[in-house]
Amino acid sequence: MSDLLDRSLRGQAAAVSAGEVDGAALLDAVLARIEERNPALNAIVATFPEQSRAMLDAAPDGPLGGVPVVIKDEWPLPWRAQRFGAAEMLAPSAPGESGPYRALRDAGATIVGVGNMHELGAGSTGNVSVYGPAHNPWDTERCPGGSSSGPAVAVAARLVAGAVGADGVGSIRYPAAYCGLTGLKPTFGRAAMAGHHMAALSTTIVSGPLCADAADCRLLGSVLFGEPLSGGNAAGLRIGIVRGAVTDDVAPAVQDACEEAIRALRAETGGEVAEVELADLQPATLATVLIANTEGLSGLSPSRLNDLDPELSPIGRGLLKYRMLLPAAAAVKAQQVRTLMRRRVAAAFADVDVIAWPTVPAVAPPLQAPLVELPSGTLTADQANVRGGALANLTGIPAISVPVGLSDGLPIALQLQAAWGRDELLLDAAEALERANGRRWVEALPPPARTAETTGA
Amino acid sequence: MEVSNRADDFIPAGLASFGIEADEVDLAVMGAAHGMFWPPILELLELDAGDVTAERAPDLSQPPPAP
Repeated sequence: MSDLLDRSLRGQAAAVSAGEVDGAALLDAVLARIEERNPALNAIVATFPEQSRAMLDAAPDGPLGGVPVVIKDEWPLPWRAQRFGAAEMLAPSAPGESGPYRALRDAGATIVGVGNMHELGAGSTGNVSVYGPAHNPWDTERCPGGSSSGPAVAVAARLVAGAVGADGVGSIRYPAAYCGLTGLKPTFGRAAMAGHHMAALSTTIVSGPLCADAADCRLLGSVLFGEPLSGGNAAGLRIGIVRGAVTDDVAPAVQDACEEAIRALRAETGGEVAEVELADLQPATLATVLIANTEGLSGLSPSRLNDLDPELSPIGRGLLKYRMLLPAAAAVKAQQVRTLMRRRVAAAFADVDVIAWPTVPAVAPPLQAPLVELPSGTLTADQANVRGGALANLTGIPAISVPVGLSDGLPIALQLQAAWGRDELLLDAAEALERANGRRWVEALPPPARTAETTGA
Repeated sequence: MEVSNRADDFIPAGLASFGIEADEVDLAVMGAAHGMFWPPILELLELDAGDVTAERAPDLSQPPPAP
């Protein structure tokens, strides 16, 4: 059974479909693995075997028939309200059928657990949560990335083969990068979103898959999209690169690995690389942060802020109060900048198919001090990471993070972004990149996931 | 007038105007956030976005309509 647990999401689905394994036996094995590996990782904050078994018993035939998956603590389930990684959410929360839940259920999947997340979705590191931090399986003293920390760790440590996250400002791509996974941020509005407490308000958040590789993201993504994400090819791929802090103010090992990956992707696809102009990325990044932070302000009031749950983290409390002081003029200007950047991005995609830059500028920082050393100096990981993550959320375009190397035993990742609706092309390009490097990085396993066979012992 | 990024000017006055209570830890976190956010906020406000008018209820699943 251990071999089966280490298989891909599509491999597990095929095994159940072929009768090689019974779904109930697979579920029991996954629960046992969670019990074995999760205490050191804190990836999964709730399991519910009774409900999981009921889901399995009622599962229809589907592309994920009998396959256990994890869902982020950002989505309600019929038997559990989401907690958003926090002692207190500033929005109503109740058990219910979210869009991702229905999509997974209708595909025959079994939800086996809820994944940890950064408190209130307000961080790229995953080191703050009401449940305590999730730990990066590549080095448990390092940040797992956030805010979809638990889903990423659960897949990286092979507790499950697929997980559903959410991405409002990079929150699928950052943990994918830190944990060595492939993570897809879909085109805005394309993936299941119903039931999210911000569904009616947010113009940045999407659901999306976190998996070991692009083919698994295609499978889980198809379920979340409610339509097949057909495979094509990325032949003749026109790869755009942008000069500026997002590509140049990065750790040397990250820069080298990403440049090598871009060369390999160009060679594999027979494509070309061209520089594209995207001015004003820094104010666009701030505009994204302002939009994401002000869209939730309707739940805030002075009296509410004076009565916050004392179990909220000091950082969470301070940031919530600071949100009230953000100038309205800047929030309005942010909307103007959004349109400006959407036009510029659309113009860029007339000349290139994808825009490539590092997902994050440095490998996972320590949990206790999430700072990164860049050529420009020391920055908080949040300050540094948002530079690469924000544009896709601001404009609505899809983006994917793909592992492309290791530095000091920690994953490095390249991000590819494409025009609206070209999610399939990103998956094609990610698969081309996997072929180009012999699948070396998508098959690399962190220590908790290595077996005697994979370590050669 | 000279621009000030000093949190100890801005934050207590802002909190007081809303009647929001804050302890030393809150103020330290807010001060750090202010140091991080305020310079780019000023940069954003000064950005020349030309004659771009923000899309009204933009369809973010699609490219923007032609200007």
